[in-house]
Amino acid sequence: MEVSQPGSLPANMARRLARRPHLAAQLLRWRNAYRLGRLRWIVAAALSVTGALALLATPPAAPVLEWLAASPLVTLAISACFFGMSAVQRQERIRSDAATSWLAALPVPGSSILRLVLGAVLRLLPVTIFVGLAWVIGAAAPPAALRLELVTAAGAVLGTAVGIPLSGGGARAAGWHYATVRRARPRWATAPSLAPLSYWPVAQGRIFSRPSASRVVLLAMLAVPAGRTDPGQVALAVAAGCITVFTLVALSTAAARAAGDAARWLAPTTIRMRAFIGAYLWRAAVKQAAVLAVVLLLACAVDDPRALRVGSAIAAAYLAISCALVATACARACRRVGLGAAGRS
Amino acid sequence: MAQAMTSVVLQVHGLHAGYDKRVVLSGVDLDIARGEWLALLGPNASGKTTLLHCVAGMLVPSAGSICICGHSLRREAMSAKRHLGFGCAPERLPSLLTGRQCLEVYAAAKGLAAIDAGVLALAEEFAFTDMLDGFVDAYSLGTKQKLAVLLALLGEPALVVLDEAFNGLDPASALVLKKHLRARADAGRCAVLLATHALDVVERYSSRAALLLGGRIARQWSADELAALRAMPGEGLEAALAAAAAGS
Repeated sequence: MEVSQPGSLPANMARRLARRPHLAAQLLRWRNAYRLGRLRWIVAAALSVTGALALLATPPAAPVLEWLAASPLVTLAISACFFGMSAVQRQERIRSDAATSWLAALPVPGSSILRLVLGAVLRLLPVTIFVGLAWVIGAAAPPAALRLELVTAAGAVLGTAVGIPLSGGGARAAGWHYATVRRARPRWATAPSLAPLSYWPVAQGRIFSRPSASRVVLLAMLAVPAGRTDPGQVALAVAAGCITVFTLVALSTAAARAAGDAARWLAPTTIRMRAFIGAYLWRAAVKQAAVLAVVLLLACAVDDPRALRVGSAIAAAYLAISCALVATACARACRRVGLGAAGRS
Repeated sequence: MAQAMTSVVLQVHGLHAGYDKRVVLSGVDLDIARGEWLALLGPNASGKTTLLHCVAGMLVPSAGSICICGHSLRREAMSAKRHLGFGCAPERLPSLLTGRQCLEVYAAAKGLAAIDAGVLALAEEFAFTDMLDGFVDAYSLGTKQKLAVLLALLGEPALVVLDEAFNGLDPASALVLKKHLRARADAGRCAVLLATHALDVVERYSSRAALLLGGRIARQWSADELAALRAMPGEGLEAALAAAAAGS
């Protein structure tokens, strides 16, 4: 009988993974992250399920799910766009790892396809659980829920299959290639400024939503006679919506993630927490507001007052929630590293 | 006596610190006066960086006190940090900002009205000026190290805290930095706390050295003792360190 060592992978699993150290390292990383913060993960999972149930209990949830189930083409397009962009990003990250990872010098394959598939499965899992919950609480009828699951899974397969070759085979550009730098102010040496701090989350957001990922969406747009037919219009709307949502979410996620690094860097200085959050957050917030304003402008062109009203409410809510989340992430990071005398005792 | 009291820049007393349940520091006592350069020595994982993080206010100790220029880091954090210059690890620098932006932001975060001419002159000596508009992500380890040091020296801090600041620096730049720090300390402009494994820096430039072992300061060497070790043929400080470690 094989006995696994404490703190190691089960013996039979380790043997299978022995020839795939990149994959094994990733699995161990996830496993260790879970073991180090088990309670945190359980609480996060419980909160996510509660949030999903609350969302499903709202009046528009059932009709939206019904409509998505009844419009398989739209659902397929959304799913394919999302998984396609994810595959591009993941492929680029894996390629970057191949050059910079601590395992880079090993004469073994990078297991990139397996890691891509694993990533896609992990992204599909929450969608599956969400639809499953909708079925359990009656927000979606069983046939509709099943159709949604199947179409989403098909979209995931299609998007991943299309996304892998679209990410290109060349070396990945360094992250800072996507960042911009303003022309140096003439009297910079005599005028310190917190303004450049705001470039950090924006640049990180650009790295998260790499331009190469939008090629997948472009393909989806060109797949149908754009704008001439009903499906074409729907596809255009879906593609534009995907790009918008992806840009906004990437910016929010990037800002929340980089907040810890920024706070740690500035912790030994005398900057106040409010000043830090304001300086860090404002450009990302303005950028998100600008993207949402363009969307609302397009909604105006549709000449549908209801669409504009609902769109405005959603845009305002998104902006408020995003700013609140990033500000909370900043405040937590400040407390963790003692920035602005907000140290944890 | 009163003068001696005011010249003390860093006072660490009974410091206990760690991460979660792991205790790293268990009763560290340390004083550094203005004009002194204290080299903090110790084997890997002995707690040097942890001690520096506590002094920089980035890690709150579980017990003990830290005073910078007479200000308690716990009760008067802002006043204490006003006198602090901390050189962060190169990998902690913001990779998506340029060197110039880092200087601008850090100076503003320290509440400075201008970036010190001395720091800009040091950047020139480091041959760093041409790299100011490049992204930190594209810098080599040595270039990042130079930027970290420049940031630490902004605002004429009374206490300069550096962690392995000579790692990755080319010999010419390392010499520039050693001489710069020594000159600053000699002029009474600051005290330097440097965690290092570079024994040549300790023997030639430091005023004092302290060995951190088992979470405590196990042994200290005064300026005279360091001078005597320097004069000894053979292993000098290296042998003294090994003997101190074995004795502990």
